[in-house]
Amino acid sequence: MATSPSQFRARVVDNRPLHGGYFVLTLQGPMAPRPLDGVIPGQFVMLRGDWGRDLINPRAFSVLDASDDGRFSVLLKAYGRGTTRLCHAPEDEMLTVTGPLGRGTFDAPTVDGPTQLLVAGGVGLPPLHLQARRAAAAGLASRVELLYGGRDADDLVLLSDLDAWGIAVHLATEDGSRGDRGFVTVPLSRRIERAQARGEAVCILSCGPTPMLRAVRALGLAQGVPTALCLEEEMACGFGVCLGCAVPVYGPKPYAYCCTDGPVFDAREVRWS
Amino acid sequence: MTAAPRPAASLPLGGVDLSCRFGPLTLPHPVMTASGCFAYGQKFAPFMDLRQLAGLSTKGISPRPRPGNPLPRICETAAGMLNSIGLENVGAEAFLSEKLPFLADLGVSVWVNFFGEDADEYVQCARMLDAGHQRGIDVLEMNISCPNIKKGGIEFGTVPEVAHALTKRCVEATRIPIVVKLSPNAADLPAMAQAVADAGAMGVSLINTITGMAIDVRTRRPRLATTYGGLSGAAIKPIALRMIHQVHRAVPELPICGMGGVGSGEDALELLMAGASCVQVGTANFARPGGALEIRDELRALMAELGIARVAEVIGCVEPLPPEPAWAPAPPDAEASR
Repeated sequence: MATSPSQFRARVVDNRPLHGGYFVLTLQGPMAPRPLDGVIPGQFVMLRGDWGRDLINPRAFSVLDASDDGRFSVLLKAYGRGTTRLCHAPEDEMLTVTGPLGRGTFDAPTVDGPTQLLVAGGVGLPPLHLQARRAAAAGLASRVELLYGGRDADDLVLLSDLDAWGIAVHLATEDGSRGDRGFVTVPLSRRIERAQARGEAVCILSCGPTPMLRAVRALGLAQGVPTALCLEEEMACGFGVCLGCAVPVYGPKPYAYCCTDGPVFDAREVRWS
Repeated sequence: MTAAPRPAASLPLGGVDLSCRFGPLTLPHPVMTASGCFAYGQKFAPFMDLRQLAGLSTKGISPRPRPGNPLPRICETAAGMLNSIGLENVGAEAFLSEKLPFLADLGVSVWVNFFGEDADEYVQCARMLDAGHQRGIDVLEMNISCPNIKKGGIEFGTVPEVAHALTKRCVEATRIPIVVKLSPNAADLPAMAQAVADAGAMGVSLINTITGMAIDVRTRRPRLATTYGGLSGAAIKPIALRMIHQVHRAVPELPICGMGGVGSGEDALELLMAGASCVQVGTANFARPGGALEIRDELRALMAELGIARVAEVIGCVEPLPPEPAWAPAPPDAEASR
């Protein structure tokens, strides 16, 4: 488990535009101690620039990577005013960071455990990208596979990393410009069928837009495949105080919290129609 | 006409005494944290030394636990945010057994915000929380202003006679002093303040969030599941100042705990000058979990710069601007203007 969260300042050392409107924002955090040491795939940070009084709350981002030199990165795409500002954050801008946040995280793959099908879409790639990176570093590249969907070929980023790590990748685009035509559930259904035909144990770890997660959840539940969903909900604080990021769940209480109970939830637990 | 007060010479930081009084309470400084923005305190322990706060107001407590509202519950708006959390809380019993011991150990002023779904529940809650008398609870902050409950809540916060009767019953139900958190949605706030003061309230807190709405034009749906929610943050500070000023003018002996968009030491000083005896920091805690103590430090520095030695000097000190000379069709002659 990573250390308890702290709030610290970090400097933008790189804000690299990818295609499709994505950016990889790399920040230099403090060195002693390094706040994100031991960050687990699924954990996130809250980021805010010195934005004055207008944009009052920080924005949540899943950690894409954190390295020994105190640097860490997130994947950005401009959706609203906060993300737009972050996409334009110049080198040397100072941001306020709170993290690492989130207790519910993805389980690491094991040698004899099920094959982990990492199902990603859009800005939901980071926790799965980090999961794949960690798997490869542990010599378990063959235990994870990435299934990645987007609107078009431009919407699929950072694929060369997966190639370099030797991770199998299945792609889908809505316009058919790369991989299967359709949603990521197309290659996912096929992969599950293949697993079932040969008696291979698989599980799903997924992060992406909520409509995609709903479809992945439905498929996982229908096929009896253990499914973990990394959710995104609007949140003001990230550490369990604002109670804005409630997630409807089954169980003794009707709601759990994306920030402190998640962001990763068992698909069976999530109370979605 | 009195001359505008001239800025006094600056003081060293050590020359500023931040201690202040709120009715019978003595606080080490005027900066507390606000209900609904500080949970039950523990979650801020990684970010700040909680013992340095003047005090805190807990999440609103009801007699029984409440699960809260459907999603979405929050959305950010220009210089503020809307919320409709639905007063989710652990309930009075669990609060007393699980949350209060931690708070009592902090040695700060613990204000327990509470509410009920009807008058009897308010009284029941005050009676249950009375168990915290001299066991850590300094104040019961009676919330008659949350926009996010449905049953009858509106009249408690907007009709002086109803607020008076409810306050009186709660005051009689507990030995702990009651501070009433008034609704900014009331038409006549000074009348509300007078009504609860007459009923035995030790002070008032103002303001709670202001009912608002946001719309997603793409989906043609409200941005909150409950359509309306409470607006907080910098956007509401001018309204807080106006209301604190009005209530302080109308009922000067009634202590006011001010809140509404406090995000800096200057904001805090503005609220004090409008008439608040202490302030609570709310929404700013989300982005800056250690922010309340930074605001205290900023307040100290600003008071030093302005030559203000004690908090009591500035409470309600704001004076009207001097009037301009009366209009006349021609300028006064040189003799008269000299």
